[in-house]
Amino acid sequence: MTKKKSIITDQRFIVLLVIIALVVIYMIFSPEFRQYSSILSMLDFSYYDILMAIGVTFPLITAGVDLSIGTGMVCYALVAGRLVRDYNCPVLVAMLICVLFGAIVGLANGTLIGVMGLPPFLATLCTCMITRGISSMVMATPWPTNKQPGGWFHSIFKLTFGTGRNALKLPVGFLVCVALVLLMEFVLNHTKFGRYTIAIGSNKEALMLSGVNVKIYHVMAYVVCGIFAGLAAIAYAAVVPTVQPGTGAGLELDAIGGVFVGGVSATGGYGSVIGTLVGVFVIVLLKTGLPYVGLQANWQQIITGIVLIGAVMIDVAKRRRMAKEQ
Amino acid sequence: MKKKLLATILSAAMVMSLLAGCGGTAASEPAAAPAEEAAATEEAAPAEEAAPAEEAAATEEAAPTEEAAATEEAAPAATAGGSGEYTGGTQFDGVTAKEAYKFPVDVKSFQSTYWQAALKGMDMAKEELGVDYDAHGPNSESDIADQVNMLNSDINSNPPGIALAACDTSSVLDSLKECADKKIPVVCFDTGVADAPEGSVVATVATDNTQAGEVAAENMYKAIKDVIAKAESPVRIGEVNQDATALNIQQRGMGFVNKMTDLIEADGKKVAVVGNEFYANEAKKAHSDLVDEASADVVIEVSVPAQTTVELCSTAAQAIMSKSDTIAIFGSNQTAAEGVLAADANLSLLGSDAAAGDVIGVGFDAGSIIKGAIEDGTMYGAVTQSPLMMGYYAIYALTMAANGDKVEDFPTAGYWYDASNMNDPTIAPNLYD
Repeated sequence: MTKKKSIITDQRFIVLLVIIALVVIYMIFSPEFRQYSSILSMLDFSYYDILMAIGVTFPLITAGVDLSIGTGMVCYALVAGRLVRDYNCPVLVAMLICVLFGAIVGLANGTLIGVMGLPPFLATLCTCMITRGISSMVMATPWPTNKQPGGWFHSIFKLTFGTGRNALKLPVGFLVCVALVLLMEFVLNHTKFGRYTIAIGSNKEALMLSGVNVKIYHVMAYVVCGIFAGLAAIAYAAVVPTVQPGTGAGLELDAIGGVFVGGVSATGGYGSVIGTLVGVFVIVLLKTGLPYVGLQANWQQIITGIVLIGAVMIDVAKRRRMAKEQ
Repeated sequence: MKKKLLATILSAAMVMSLLAGCGGTAASEPAAAPAEEAAATEEAAPAEEAAPAEEAAATEEAAPTEEAAATEEAAPAATAGGSGEYTGGTQFDGVTAKEAYKFPVDVKSFQSTYWQAALKGMDMAKEELGVDYDAHGPNSESDIADQVNMLNSDINSNPPGIALAACDTSSVLDSLKECADKKIPVVCFDTGVADAPEGSVVATVATDNTQAGEVAAENMYKAIKDVIAKAESPVRIGEVNQDATALNIQQRGMGFVNKMTDLIEADGKKVAVVGNEFYANEAKKAHSDLVDEASADVVIEVSVPAQTTVELCSTAAQAIMSKSDTIAIFGSNQTAAEGVLAADANLSLLGSDAAAGDVIGVGFDAGSIIKGAIEDGTMYGAVTQSPLMMGYYAIYALTMAANGDKVEDFPTAGYWYDASNMNDPTIAPNLYD
């Protein structure tokens, strides 16, 4: 296979073209979308999707899934936010609690799936319900705003210089996300944990027979996912004015959909974190961009669904060809 | 090993839920002093002669000293509230309970202080009437099945009457049918059930959402009137509605659009209503003289997000606010209003001086983010409902129904608040965090 051919058939490349096409279409049809502030808002609302998606890439590559990331994210943001509001907990500690809470739920998911052998869909559906239940007990919580003490955490995602209409705002969160994507891409491809994660998805039995302690690596995939859901909680708290209890169901689907668009195989065993990044951007562009071109609510979801079908069909075709080549 | 791990995880989960639980209860004490509530009730119900003394008595133990002062303050503030037609009416005059009834009350949830304000209103009424109530509610407002179960077990205990704030109006229809069969009177509060079975719901105590939308339009128009009058090119007013399906949002949305259209047309300008099909079509039904966008002086653009989340409300708001001709925007519930504020985090267009080019933002309900934005002048003002009054009158209506008297529907008002009156004793108790 020549190198040129491999680039063109690379799903990530196709997805990148889709992103460029979407942006061009939006910019042609909507003068408002061309404004810097629109791009800034789109990025604001993409960070938590990207972070959730980086995490859920790992369970998905093991041919599992994590449905608890959406409600989990909201739950961590609520609990930690309440600690800040009611117990004067420093924001830094609250951020650590988000990540820790995420890791614990990830550990629970991993144990149920990797050790006790529950189907991933079922196990994470249960933790999804549990986190949603916990978040229902907490009151609606705003994290400190930019101007309040403790609001410094906003600058992880957006640096603001000056005030008012002429303030310069830099979306540094994007760089943070890209750095994490590159880090996790490295972890996936160049560490024992990453390679075994892929192996669990492609042939778990062969891995077990070769003497690898599969359980530990299987659990770790879910812990990583939980940690990123915790990081997503911080990004979510930074953009949503008030975190509402009992919400978050459905947000995981944006992230999971993005991962599939980005080329992770629907049956596991293949994928990349860079692909996840571009895949999530397609979902984010469809979610936040379509209102600018005046398309009403229902169309946004229909189009997102169609794009997802397209992405999975590419995956199916790819596997068929690979089977033929073998 | 497995067991140990499981035990660790379980205990960790318990600790976490404990923490979560603590968070909920510790935060659940609203700042409003009881005395203020007494004042609030008096203001909104001047027709109710018997009330003041009794209410004062009810709250005396809690705040004996503040009470008198708060009541005095209430008098001048009375005009700031709703209009005269929402003042209790005469139907509740001289109501007394024939027995010491105990009513089950089904609220949508205990999550927000909104519902706690409603329960406070119920407490006041129960002290006055010598009745009692027992409140139940699911974890969150979307746990519809849980609420239906609670309602059904209430019906099985054959109570003298039930107060219901339905999470989902169509899911409670079977239960309401049973109430009608068993002759248990139901008073709906906060949310009406439009197609309730005959004989089940005896009265509805809920915000008049059309009026609440109109209040938003009237007050917004005061701020942008001059800009519209002087405008040389068409200007745009935005409205973000969380959905186009819930009755209360529809009524609020149309209340705003229709009132705004009336006000602008009265000043001789041409109006177009564009955007979401439902709202645009409803507007055409109400106003035959609407023009299309190209020939309008003022364009009212209504946007509805794909899902009822803040981020999508925010995107919808931003798409409108980014247009250079936009002069004002209304978010018709807490989520939509916070969406407007989230959009403004990157746009920095909102302010209170329309003549200087600020976009006038008007919200709905409360919550600390909206209250903060109104205090610092980012948001021009908002409309609040009166959960306290709804709870108060729901118990009165139930008592009348249990006595066997006829009760009429009782709409409560939406009140305008801005930086100047948000600390008034008539307004503050309704502004939950």
